[in-house]
Amino acid sequence: MSNTIKTSIKTMGFCGPCSASEPAEVDVKDGRIVRIRPFDYQSSAGGEPLARWSIKARGHEFKAAEKSEITPFALATKHRVYSPNRILYPMKRADWDPKGRRNPQNRGKSKYVRISWDEATQLIADEVRRVHERYGVNSIFVQSDGHHQVKTLHGPRGCEGALLDALGGYCLQARNPDSWEGWYWGAKHIWGCDPVGEGDQQNLFYDVAQNTDTVLFWGCDVVTTPWGWGGHFPSRYCFFLRDIGVRQIYICPDVNYGAAVHADKWIPVLPNTDAALQLAIAHTWIKEGTYDRKYLDTHAVGFDWFEYHARGGDDGIEKTPEWAEGVCGVPARIIKALARSWAKQNVSIAHGNGGSYIRSTYSHEPARFEVALLGMQALGHPGRNQLKMMEYQLFSLPQQTPIPRSRFIPNLFSVLLPYAADQRDSLVPETLVPEALAGDYTHEKPLTWYGCTVAGVPVEDQFRPLQYPAEGSERIHMVWIDSPKWTSSWNGGYCYIEALHSDLIECVVAQHIWMEDDCLLADIILPVNTKFEERDINCDIMSGNYNTLVLEEQSVEPLGESKSDWECAVAVAEKLGVADELTGGASLEDKMRIGFENSGVQDYLSFEEFLEKKSYIVPPAEGWEDDPAGFYGFYIDPQANPLTTPSGLIEYYSSRLAEEFPDDEERKPYPRWIEKGETHPDERLGAERAKRYPYLLVSNHPHWRLHSQLDDCAWFREIKTCKVAGPDGYAYEPVWVNPADAKHLGLASGDVVKIYNDRGWTMGGVYVTERIRPGAVLQDHGARMDPIELGVSDRGGTNNLIAPKAIASKNCAGEVTSGYLVGVEKVDVFELARQYPEAFSRPYDPETGPLHIVDAWLDNVQV
Amino acid sequence: MKVFIVDIDKCNGCYGCQVACKDEHVGNVWEPYSLPQPNTGHFWMRVKEREHGQVPKVRVEYTPWPCMHCDDPKCAAAAPDAVYRRDDGLVIIDPVRAKGRRELVDACPYDAVFYNEELDVAQKCTGCAHLVDEGKLPHCVDLCATGGLRFGDEEEFAEEIARAETFVPEPGCRPRVYYLNLPHLFLAGDVWDPAENEIVEGASVTLTLPDGSTRQTATDDFGDFSFRRIDEGVYSLFIEVDGFEPVERRDIDLRESLNLGDFPLTRN
Repeated sequence: MSNTIKTSIKTMGFCGPCSASEPAEVDVKDGRIVRIRPFDYQSSAGGEPLARWSIKARGHEFKAAEKSEITPFALATKHRVYSPNRILYPMKRADWDPKGRRNPQNRGKSKYVRISWDEATQLIADEVRRVHERYGVNSIFVQSDGHHQVKTLHGPRGCEGALLDALGGYCLQARNPDSWEGWYWGAKHIWGCDPVGEGDQQNLFYDVAQNTDTVLFWGCDVVTTPWGWGGHFPSRYCFFLRDIGVRQIYICPDVNYGAAVHADKWIPVLPNTDAALQLAIAHTWIKEGTYDRKYLDTHAVGFDWFEYHARGGDDGIEKTPEWAEGVCGVPARIIKALARSWAKQNVSIAHGNGGSYIRSTYSHEPARFEVALLGMQALGHPGRNQLKMMEYQLFSLPQQTPIPRSRFIPNLFSVLLPYAADQRDSLVPETLVPEALAGDYTHEKPLTWYGCTVAGVPVEDQFRPLQYPAEGSERIHMVWIDSPKWTSSWNGGYCYIEALHSDLIECVVAQHIWMEDDCLLADIILPVNTKFEERDINCDIMSGNYNTLVLEEQSVEPLGESKSDWECAVAVAEKLGVADELTGGASLEDKMRIGFENSGVQDYLSFEEFLEKKSYIVPPAEGWEDDPAGFYGFYIDPQANPLTTPSGLIEYYSSRLAEEFPDDEERKPYPRWIEKGETHPDERLGAERAKRYPYLLVSNHPHWRLHSQLDDCAWFREIKTCKVAGPDGYAYEPVWVNPADAKHLGLASGDVVKIYNDRGWTMGGVYVTERIRPGAVLQDHGARMDPIELGVSDRGGTNNLIAPKAIASKNCAGEVTSGYLVGVEKVDVFELARQYPEAFSRPYDPETGPLHIVDAWLDNVQV
Repeated sequence: MKVFIVDIDKCNGCYGCQVACKDEHVGNVWEPYSLPQPNTGHFWMRVKEREHGQVPKVRVEYTPWPCMHCDDPKCAAAAPDAVYRRDDGLVIIDPVRAKGRRELVDACPYDAVFYNEELDVAQKCTGCAHLVDEGKLPHCVDLCATGGLRFGDEEEFAEEIARAETFVPEPGCRPRVYYLNLPHLFLAGDVWDPAENEIVEGASVTLTLPDGSTRQTATDDFGDFSFRRIDEGVYSLFIEVDGFEPVERRDIDLRESLNLGDFPLTRN
């Protein structure tokens, strides 16, 4: 039977082009995917012995794997190909008439009719021309959001932008540092560390294995976030750490999925109060003299400012462990024990992005405090660094990986769309989109902010004042989105819905694989392929084991009338007469060859050999063991190996922040405990508002989704931590409640609750568990929106809809999507169904959840 | 003879094995061993999940749970004509002969047999016999990246089998799925000095087990102690350290893993 199976290779991670991960072998029979298997590195080595690196430490060995370490996400992605929510043909909102009434107020309410590709592309082309003529090119807004698969030649990420550039330009939704907020806005000012503010990683897996006693997994889940950006590799490393006796302490409000199996100890801190815990640790060290003062003399500036704050010199609050206990919920004795244990050992701190630690109000402070603490214990000393458990070789930079160095990092930059490094003036950061779309801003009274034009650029970008509308440009009147996920993944989704109801926004085009999220708000929808339906080439640099260039052959034929994002753009370009300008006359096969010839692999293999072998595995570099680990060079000689701060040293007081933002009371030149500020006056448990909304919501990267992708996977939805079945048979997004809080609220597992604040409400299925500490409730982000009263309430558990709209702090346009106040209240779902009969009677599939196309959003009157 | 080895110490609870089983069997026919598995509701490879302890001493136990491919399967006893054992030990429910044979579901003491209502047939894990025939691993084992799930010949796992446990819900069950490092239950707590508001490190903690034997440990640099891999029963605990009054806790009725909480000591 196997002889009828055809196998192709696909990378299954979700990061982005040139940052793929998790190569897998896809078996296809009779045009359907049979199964998805790990990629066999050994047999793909082409008969040569596979060159595997090996870390030996304390009598054990950790080696590069023989096959890829794919996660359940990879298997579920097969499931998604055949999802009932696939968009299979172009559609138009039934009551959107470009020649008559456009009815923007009905976006998200009215249904769709099927149209032909010819009609869809003509409609879009006509709208593009009309907007260009009437307002100018920058009145078309391109949102390339994060709800995508990783493709190179086929997009998504900005294919429509490339088309619009062929016509003169557009306004860009700028990629803000969503994954790294606090590091970006905070840590960069204390230790430099472009591109994103996290520390140098070089050779740290080796260093930790050799030298570290304890790793603090601070707000880090090694068994969740890496699933989307690398696979099981980090978890396997943590098992190795256990084997060699490295203690793993988790500091977070929840027993996250990493803590559940890897933690030797859990210190449950209240969400977004880590800064208080950190200050109390510093206070203990200062009081007991257990920090490295000599190191600070030579490696740091401005420590006296930090010390002054810790002692309460500026605000009258001495940051004792007893004070911190009242703020962060960790007993003072445990804080002191942690401080003393740390001071005696080699401690590194591990991260995996996301969560309340780094994505809440004033996230720049815990990030800066972490660096401050690492500095007090001689950052860069063997065994004392900041360790990343994912995003290896981020932005293709060799110092961004803790794994034994690869001989080279292959790339496909030569054929990438410019989106990833776009720095045009006409832009709006992701976090301010609703304001830009519908806010009352003019050239005289513009929307203003500082940076960030694109995540990953040098820190100076944060001092760049920007405004909308850009000078010489009209405001936005048309939106073209690929991979939409604003409502489910950004800050204050209800405001986005409200903005799209504005008369100012005359046309919204969405192109996507599935009818989810913001697709429901579009006027024209284009059907997009999954990657299995496309032929492409990809660089896996984030799996950890090896760097691999992969030929991704087409596995199955496109479903329905779907096209790739690139083909969508070309189809519209043809209508506009600019197809040649868009493609440059190159076919996709030409582009693949160009990409290959500039990838770095061309020195080892011809293009023809690559097409035959289908992959190239880059061997580890010779002598990687001798690479200095992390900040070791700086530790040894800070003058010869300076940081990228102005002084080259750790800046406990940032003179640059003092110069650039002398009046910023929120992000001062030195990190502080911020109970409240002008941007977020009442988002903490101590606020008056907390009487109405008494819990801090932890909203991590979802364990059973990738942002809002995969939410309809039947194979996940029957796992008890994925969904909670309500008495009405609807699978609600779980909300974790500690038994003590559940008792107070009169809740039991399986109850359905409203999760609310003054920004609206969503819902959840109660999961009473000791995995969340009292005072906090947990609901992952990214569940598919299922509107009840559009813009007010939601059944899906899409909690980003009620996240704070305000940015991280006054001059930091970051998101606040975790660690904010909510109330939780039991509801009677049958009563709600009576109250909202339409929303509660939409077609629903018990296996996959709400059916967004079949019946629910498609008008029966089809063309 | 084939065996499965499940090492709980290497399982990160990803459910990859459970999902892999669906990937392999939903929508796929593997004659002569299996008809398609329904999209949901069947768990030929199930991951059991159990939370242990209370804040802040909490762990999660995951137990992959396939058909145990028993030496003397109860399902075969219930329907000898519909169940057979291959020469390599894999137990197969014949998809043709098991039509309408609901009794197979109840016969299995491991809840590892499921009924496919649509196809009217009893079904379970085949050990991916169709892949084993080709010299390959069962799909769930192939997908396990951490070494939690292994499969192969009994002889090559002799060392593991010697220190493994099995689940025997009924007399006569002779399963061929072997478990390493099952966590059982734990008892934990922490010790501190309220007068100084400090943890107490190095306190001697003695646990008396239901059989009268004792285990002894000392509190660590957080004042924590724990006793792992113990079972249900009535325990008592004795804590002593120089400078403080000793503390005794008797009649600890252990049914689930328990964080006894904090033990404030009084100076003597």
